[in-house]
Amino acid sequence: MTEIQPFIVERFYKAPARNVWRAITEIAFIREWYFNIPAFRPEPGFEFSFESKDCNEAKIHHCKVIEVVKGKKLSYSWKYEGYAGNSVVTFEIFEEGKNQTRLRLTHAGLETFPPDLLERKNIKEGWNWLIDTSLRNLLEQTPGKFIEHN
Amino acid sequence: METRRDVFQAIADPTRRKIINMLATTPQNLNAIAENFDVTRQAVSLHIKILTECGLIVIRQEGRERYCSIQPRKLAEVADWIEPFRKMWDTRLDRLGAVLRTMNKKSKSSKKK
Repeated sequence: MTEIQPFIVERFYKAPARNVWRAITEIAFIREWYFNIPAFRPEPGFEFSFESKDCNEAKIHHCKVIEVVKGKKLSYSWKYEGYAGNSVVTFEIFEEGKNQTRLRLTHAGLETFPPDLLERKNIKEGWNWLIDTSLRNLLEQTPGKFIEHN
Repeated sequence: METRRDVFQAIADPTRRKIINMLATTPQNLNAIAENFDVTRQAVSLHIKILTECGLIVIRQEGRERYCSIQPRKLAEVADWIEPFRKMWDTRLDRLGAVLRTMNKKSKSSKKK
Protein backbone atom coordinates (compact mmCIF):
# COMPACT_ATOMS: atom_id res chain seq x y z
CA MET A 1 0.00 0.00 0.00
CA THR A 2 1.29 3.38 -0.89
CA GLU A 3 0.04 6.43 0.83
CA ILE A 4 -0.14 9.88 -0.63
CA GLN A 5 1.17 12.54 1.69
CA PRO A 6 -1.74 14.67 2.82
CA PHE A 7 -1.72 18.42 2.60
CA ILE A 8 -0.85 19.92 6.01
CA VAL A 9 -0.69 23.50 7.20
CA GLU A 10 0.05 24.67 10.75
CA ARG A 11 -0.56 27.99 12.42
CA PHE A 12 0.22 29.45 15.81
CA TYR A 13 -2.43 31.67 17.30
CA LYS A 14 -2.14 33.94 20.30
CA ALA A 15 -5.31 32.62 21.79
CA PRO A 16 -6.31 29.99 24.32
CA ALA A 17 -6.95 26.52 22.91
CA ARG A 18 -10.53 26.73 24.15
CA ASN A 19 -11.21 29.72 21.89
CA VAL A 20 -9.78 27.95 18.87
CA TRP A 21 -12.07 25.00 19.53
CA ARG A 22 -15.05 27.31 19.86
CA ALA A 23 -14.12 29.12 16.62
CA ILE A 24 -14.09 25.88 14.65
CA THR A 25 -17.22 24.34 16.20
CA GLU A 26 -19.68 27.12 17.05
CA ILE A 27 -21.80 28.22 14.12
CA ALA A 28 -21.61 31.97 14.82
CA PHE A 29 -17.80 31.86 14.72
CA ILE A 30 -17.67 29.37 11.86
CA ARG A 31 -19.62 31.76 9.66
CA GLU A 32 -17.19 34.59 10.46
CA TRP A 33 -14.06 32.95 9.11
CA TYR A 34 -15.06 29.77 7.36
CA PHE A 35 -18.05 29.19 5.15
CA ASN A 36 -21.70 30.01 5.30
CA ILE A 37 -22.88 26.81 6.87
CA PRO A 38 -26.56 26.57 7.90
CA ALA A 39 -25.84 24.62 11.09
CA PHE A 40 -23.07 22.71 12.75
CA ARG A 41 -22.78 20.21 15.58
CA PRO A 42 -19.50 18.57 16.53
CA GLU A 43 -20.99 15.08 16.49
CA PRO A 44 -19.94 12.14 14.35
CA GLY A 45 -22.44 11.65 11.53
CA PHE A 46 -23.54 15.29 11.43
CA GLU A 47 -23.80 16.41 7.81
CA PHE A 48 -23.57 19.87 6.35
CA SER A 49 -23.30 21.44 2.92
CA PHE A 50 -22.25 24.82 1.67
CA GLU A 51 -21.44 26.63 -1.51
CA SER A 52 -18.05 28.20 -2.03
CA LYS A 53 -15.91 29.63 -4.78
CA ASP A 54 -12.70 28.93 -2.89
CA CYS A 55 -11.50 26.37 -5.39
CA ASN A 56 -12.65 27.34 -8.84
CA GLU A 57 -16.20 28.51 -9.65
CA ALA A 58 -18.96 28.05 -7.11
CA LYS A 59 -19.32 24.48 -6.02
CA ILE A 60 -21.47 22.72 -3.52
CA HIS A 61 -19.45 21.06 -0.80
CA HIS A 62 -20.78 18.13 1.17
CA CYS A 63 -19.27 17.26 4.52
CA LYS A 64 -19.92 14.71 7.21
CA VAL A 65 -18.34 14.73 10.65
CA ILE A 66 -16.18 11.65 11.17
CA GLU A 67 -14.36 12.17 14.45
CA VAL A 68 -14.63 14.50 17.40
CA VAL A 69 -12.26 14.71 20.35
CA LYS A 70 -13.65 17.61 22.28
CA GLY A 71 -11.27 20.53 22.41
CA LYS A 72 -8.59 18.68 20.47
CA LYS A 73 -9.64 17.19 17.17
CA LEU A 74 -12.34 17.55 14.58
CA SER A 75 -12.45 15.80 11.25
CA TYR A 76 -14.99 15.59 8.50
CA SER A 77 -15.28 14.30 4.98
CA TRP A 78 -15.25 16.86 2.21
CA LYS A 79 -16.48 16.27 -1.31
CA TYR A 80 -17.82 18.23 -4.22
CA GLU A 81 -21.24 17.79 -5.72
CA GLY A 82 -21.00 16.49 -9.28
CA TYR A 83 -17.38 15.38 -8.94
CA ALA A 84 -15.77 12.10 -8.07
CA GLY A 85 -13.44 11.82 -5.13
CA ASN A 86 -13.63 12.31 -1.41
CA SER A 87 -11.25 13.99 1.00
CA VAL A 88 -10.95 14.42 4.74
CA VAL A 89 -10.34 17.69 6.54
CA THR A 90 -8.93 17.44 10.06
CA PHE A 91 -8.35 20.18 12.59
CA GLU A 92 -6.05 19.38 15.49
CA ILE A 93 -5.54 21.76 18.38
CA PHE A 94 -2.38 21.76 20.49
CA GLU A 95 -2.16 23.88 23.60
CA GLU A 96 1.34 25.36 23.55
CA GLY A 97 0.82 27.83 26.38
CA LYS A 98 -1.84 29.71 28.26
CA ASN A 99 -2.45 32.02 25.35
CA GLN A 100 -0.64 30.14 22.62
CA THR A 101 -2.27 27.51 20.46
CA ARG A 102 -1.06 25.55 17.48
CA LEU A 103 -3.60 24.50 14.91
CA ARG A 104 -2.81 21.81 12.42
CA LEU A 105 -5.01 21.47 9.38
CA THR A 106 -4.75 18.30 7.34
CA HIS A 107 -6.54 17.92 4.04
CA ALA A 108 -6.07 14.34 2.91
CA GLY A 109 -7.23 12.76 -0.31
CA LEU A 110 -6.90 15.73 -2.65
CA GLU A 111 -5.46 13.35 -5.23
CA THR A 112 -8.81 11.54 -5.43
CA PHE A 113 -10.43 14.55 -7.08
CA PRO A 114 -10.51 14.62 -10.87
CA PRO A 115 -8.19 17.10 -12.60
CA ASP A 116 -11.12 19.02 -14.09
CA LEU A 117 -12.20 20.01 -10.58
CA LEU A 118 -9.83 22.92 -10.85
CA GLU A 119 -9.82 24.85 -14.05
CA ARG A 120 -6.91 27.15 -14.03
CA LYS A 121 -8.50 30.30 -15.40
CA ASN A 122 -11.28 30.25 -12.88
CA ILE A 123 -8.96 29.55 -10.01
CA LYS A 124 -6.95 32.60 -10.82
CA GLU A 125 -9.94 34.87 -11.09
CA GLY A 126 -11.51 33.51 -7.95
CA TRP A 127 -8.38 33.89 -5.98
CA ASN A 128 -7.56 37.33 -7.19
CA TRP A 129 -10.97 38.41 -6.08
CA LEU A 130 -10.71 36.75 -2.72
CA ILE A 131 -7.22 37.97 -1.96
CA ASP A 132 -7.62 41.46 -3.35
CA THR A 133 -10.94 42.23 -1.79
CA SER A 134 -12.22 40.20 1.11
CA LEU A 135 -8.92 39.21 2.66
CA ARG A 136 -7.39 42.63 2.24
CA ASN A 137 -10.41 44.25 3.85
CA LEU A 138 -10.32 41.85 6.72
CA LEU A 139 -6.63 42.28 7.40
CA GLU A 140 -6.65 46.03 7.05
CA GLN A 141 -9.58 46.39 9.36
CA THR A 142 -7.77 44.36 11.96
CA PRO A 143 -4.60 46.25 12.84
CA GLY A 144 -1.53 44.73 14.40
CA LYS A 145 0.25 41.54 13.71
CA PHE A 146 -1.62 38.74 15.31
CA ILE A 147 -0.82 35.69 13.28
CA GLU A 148 2.50 34.04 13.71
CA HIS A 149 3.42 31.91 10.79
CA ASN A 150 5.21 28.76 11.62
CA MET B 1 -6.16 -2.57 -7.89
CA GLU B 2 -4.47 -1.00 -10.86
CA THR B 3 -1.21 0.68 -10.05
CA ARG B 4 -1.35 4.31 -10.85
CA ARG B 5 1.59 5.97 -12.48
CA ASP B 6 1.33 9.68 -12.02
CA VAL B 7 3.03 12.42 -10.07
CA PHE B 8 1.12 11.57 -6.91
CA GLN B 9 2.37 8.02 -7.02
CA ALA B 10 5.84 9.39 -7.61
CA ILE B 11 5.90 11.60 -4.53
CA ALA B 12 4.07 9.16 -2.27
CA ASP B 13 7.27 7.47 -1.09
CA PRO B 14 9.91 9.16 1.10
CA THR B 15 12.83 7.59 -0.77
CA ARG B 16 11.44 8.82 -4.06
CA ARG B 17 10.98 12.30 -2.62
CA LYS B 18 14.63 12.24 -1.56
CA ILE B 19 15.69 11.16 -5.03
CA ILE B 20 13.65 13.99 -6.53
CA ASN B 21 15.35 16.45 -4.16
CA MET B 22 18.78 15.14 -5.10
CA LEU B 23 18.07 15.49 -8.78
CA ALA B 24 16.44 18.88 -8.43
CA THR B 25 19.69 20.77 -8.94
CA THR B 26 21.86 18.47 -11.04
CA PRO B 27 21.39 15.27 -13.04
CA GLN B 28 23.22 12.33 -11.45
CA ASN B 29 24.10 8.83 -12.41
CA LEU B 30 22.43 5.83 -10.87
CA ASN B 31 25.41 4.81 -8.72
CA ALA B 32 25.76 8.26 -7.21
CA ILE B 33 22.10 8.24 -6.28
CA ALA B 34 22.26 4.76 -4.77
CA GLU B 35 25.24 5.71 -2.58
CA ASN B 36 23.05 8.11 -0.67
CA PHE B 37 20.70 5.43 0.56
CA ASP B 38 21.00 2.58 3.01
CA VAL B 39 18.71 0.41 0.95
CA THR B 40 19.98 -1.91 -1.76
CA ARG B 41 20.87 -0.70 -5.21
CA GLN B 42 18.01 -2.82 -6.54
CA ALA B 43 15.55 -0.99 -4.32
CA VAL B 44 16.84 2.37 -5.51
CA SER B 45 16.63 1.14 -9.11
CA LEU B 46 13.00 0.21 -8.57
CA HIS B 47 12.23 3.69 -7.27
CA ILE B 48 14.00 5.17 -10.28
CA LYS B 49 11.95 2.93 -12.52
CA ILE B 50 8.70 4.11 -10.90
CA LEU B 51 9.81 7.74 -11.16
CA THR B 52 10.52 7.17 -14.84
CA GLU B 53 7.14 5.55 -15.40
CA CYS B 54 5.49 8.46 -13.66
CA GLY B 55 7.24 10.77 -16.10
CA LEU B 56 9.09 12.57 -13.36
CA ILE B 57 12.62 11.69 -14.40
CA VAL B 58 14.31 10.67 -17.61
CA ILE B 59 17.32 8.38 -17.92
CA ARG B 60 20.00 9.15 -20.46
CA GLN B 61 22.68 6.67 -21.38
CA GLU B 62 26.16 8.23 -21.68
CA GLY B 63 28.77 5.62 -22.40
CA ARG B 64 28.63 3.23 -19.48
CA GLU B 65 26.82 5.65 -17.22
CA ARG B 66 23.11 6.17 -16.94
CA TYR B 67 22.20 9.69 -15.93
CA CYS B 68 18.91 10.59 -14.31
CA SER B 69 17.47 14.05 -14.63
CA ILE B 70 14.28 15.60 -13.41
CA GLN B 71 11.34 16.72 -15.53
CA PRO B 72 10.37 19.86 -13.64
CA ARG B 73 7.21 20.43 -15.63
CA LYS B 74 5.83 17.17 -14.38
CA LEU B 75 6.63 18.06 -10.80
CA ALA B 76 4.90 21.37 -11.27
CA GLU B 77 1.69 19.41 -11.81
CA VAL B 78 1.65 18.58 -8.11
CA ALA B 79 2.26 22.14 -7.07
CA ASP B 80 -0.42 23.34 -9.48
CA TRP B 81 -2.89 20.90 -8.10
CA ILE B 82 -2.22 21.68 -4.45
CA GLU B 83 -1.96 25.45 -4.92
CA PRO B 84 -5.67 26.38 -4.87
CA PHE B 85 -6.16 24.31 -1.74
CA ARG B 86 -3.12 25.85 -0.09
CA LYS B 87 -4.45 29.32 -0.85
CA MET B 88 -7.89 28.40 0.35
CA TRP B 89 -6.62 27.20 3.70
CA ASP B 90 -4.15 30.08 4.08
CA THR B 91 -6.95 32.54 3.56
CA ARG B 92 -9.37 30.77 5.87
CA LEU B 93 -6.82 30.32 8.62
CA ASP B 94 -5.87 34.01 8.39
CA ARG B 95 -9.49 34.82 8.90
CA LEU B 96 -9.64 32.44 11.82
CA GLY B 97 -6.79 34.42 13.36
CA ALA B 98 -8.83 37.58 13.04
CA VAL B 99 -11.81 35.93 14.69
CA LEU B 100 -9.67 34.67 17.57
CA ARG B 101 -8.31 38.14 18.08
CA THR B 102 -11.77 39.59 18.47
CA MET B 103 -12.64 36.77 20.87
CA ASN B 104 -9.62 37.70 22.98
CA LYS B 105 -10.64 41.32 23.03
CA LYS B 106 -14.16 40.42 24.07
CA SER B 107 -13.01 38.24 26.94
CA LYS B 108 -10.53 40.89 28.11
CA SER B 109 -13.05 43.71 28.07
CA SER B 110 -15.62 41.61 29.87
CA LYS B 111 -13.09 40.89 32.62
CA LYS B 112 -12.47 44.58 33.15
CA LYS B 113 -16.14 45.30 33.69
